[in-house]
Amino acid sequence: MMFPKKYWTITLASLLILAALIMISYHATKQDSDTGFFRRLVLEAAWPLESLKNTSLKALRESWDRYLFLIGLEAENRRLRKENHLLENQLVQYREGYLDALRLRKILKLQEQLDIIPVIAEVIDREQSPLFKSILIDKGTAHGLKVGLPVLSDQGIAGRITECSWHISRIMLVVDVNSNVSVLLQRSRTHGVLQGAGAAGCRLKYVPKAEEVKVGDAVISSGLGGIFPKGIILGVVAAVDKKEGGFFQRIDVQPSVDFGKLEEVVVLNPQKDRKP
Amino acid sequence: MMYPYLFLPLAGLLLVIFQTSVLNIFFMGRINVEISLILVIYAGFRMNVLQGALFSFLLGFFLDCAMGSISGLFTLIYVCIFFISVLVSIRVYAEQISLIIGFSFLCSIFEGLMIVLFFKIMYDINMLGSIVQVFLPQALVVSALSPLFFKLFHFFEVSFHDGNPQPAK
Repeated sequence: MMFPKKYWTITLASLLILAALIMISYHATKQDSDTGFFRRLVLEAAWPLESLKNTSLKALRESWDRYLFLIGLEAENRRLRKENHLLENQLVQYREGYLDALRLRKILKLQEQLDIIPVIAEVIDREQSPLFKSILIDKGTAHGLKVGLPVLSDQGIAGRITECSWHISRIMLVVDVNSNVSVLLQRSRTHGVLQGAGAAGCRLKYVPKAEEVKVGDAVISSGLGGIFPKGIILGVVAAVDKKEGGFFQRIDVQPSVDFGKLEEVVVLNPQKDRKP
Repeated sequence: MMYPYLFLPLAGLLLVIFQTSVLNIFFMGRINVEISLILVIYAGFRMNVLQGALFSFLLGFFLDCAMGSISGLFTLIYVCIFFISVLVSIRVYAEQISLIIGFSFLCSIFEGLMIVLFFKIMYDINMLGSIVQVFLPQALVVSALSPLFFKLFHFFEVSFHDGNPQPAK
């Protein structure tokens, strides 16, 4: 042995420390030089594990980001759904307002034409039996209404008041089997009586077979009887049958008013008290 | 046997890479958990001088490379710590947990002081503030983890030597 055994540790320590110091000195003096061979070796050896770590971390980060994104997306989705719901409600309200305005405009136009005091009422209930067709409105004698007054909608004649309370009135619709309205066919000026037929609509009666009636002819009020003003539409001819026995032809009329969708009506109150 | 001379550098390299890359994630890069330092102390307590010294030298070099620090800095520090550990293990009973914890703490602080001193001498950079901010927490973490890693290294040593580990000096 070159060194005595008791100096072996000191020698080894000195050698290693010296090597480390040489390395430091080399690094300090050659700062700009290329990476050393051993350093490159270690870096190369570290590469697979670093790459694996980075891949794993990347996957983990992506999953986490995706999770966070999904959480954010879910929250945003919930917020947008709520917003959408709110906007839909607003849209419905605006649409309702628009439709109300359209109906009211027609009613006002009607008022100008007829020179009457219109009482606008809201439909609050409907009678749903097959033959008897009536509705309840939220106006009554307290609003100047009385039995017999004609009731119109923006689509034409709806019916007339048959019962009148202080704040509620019943309207017998023109499709009720008890309803009879004096009408005339607009094109041929033929008179007849429009009788309600329940769910089937209306039937125009007492039109002689000699009269020419066509499908699609408008049926308007004749003004006779003193209830309904003249010239307001009630419906159109849906079917004509002259083969039936008897003097008169059978004429089915499709009411112009869609009673299922009736929401507001106007009761025509003659302006007896109006000053000229 | 040549096995330790082939296996240990590889294991040391893997450990250093694991330590500098994976472990740093858990501490958000604020504290460097130096398991390699615990391993150097373990080597000083347990391994024979030549094997342990070379292993510490390599560990330091690997750490220099992995951390991108000045070549030889950690090599020098690890060699110094290894021989200090050898000296301590000759004089005291190195199996006590309190000794392992205390000694690991002191070695970690020593390492910090060496680095501060090195940068002061070489580049005239004052890093005294980092002793409290970086090296003290690092020393606390290392000392807290040292008993656990001593047990782990012991387990590996036993497995490596087929159930016959080297006795503590």
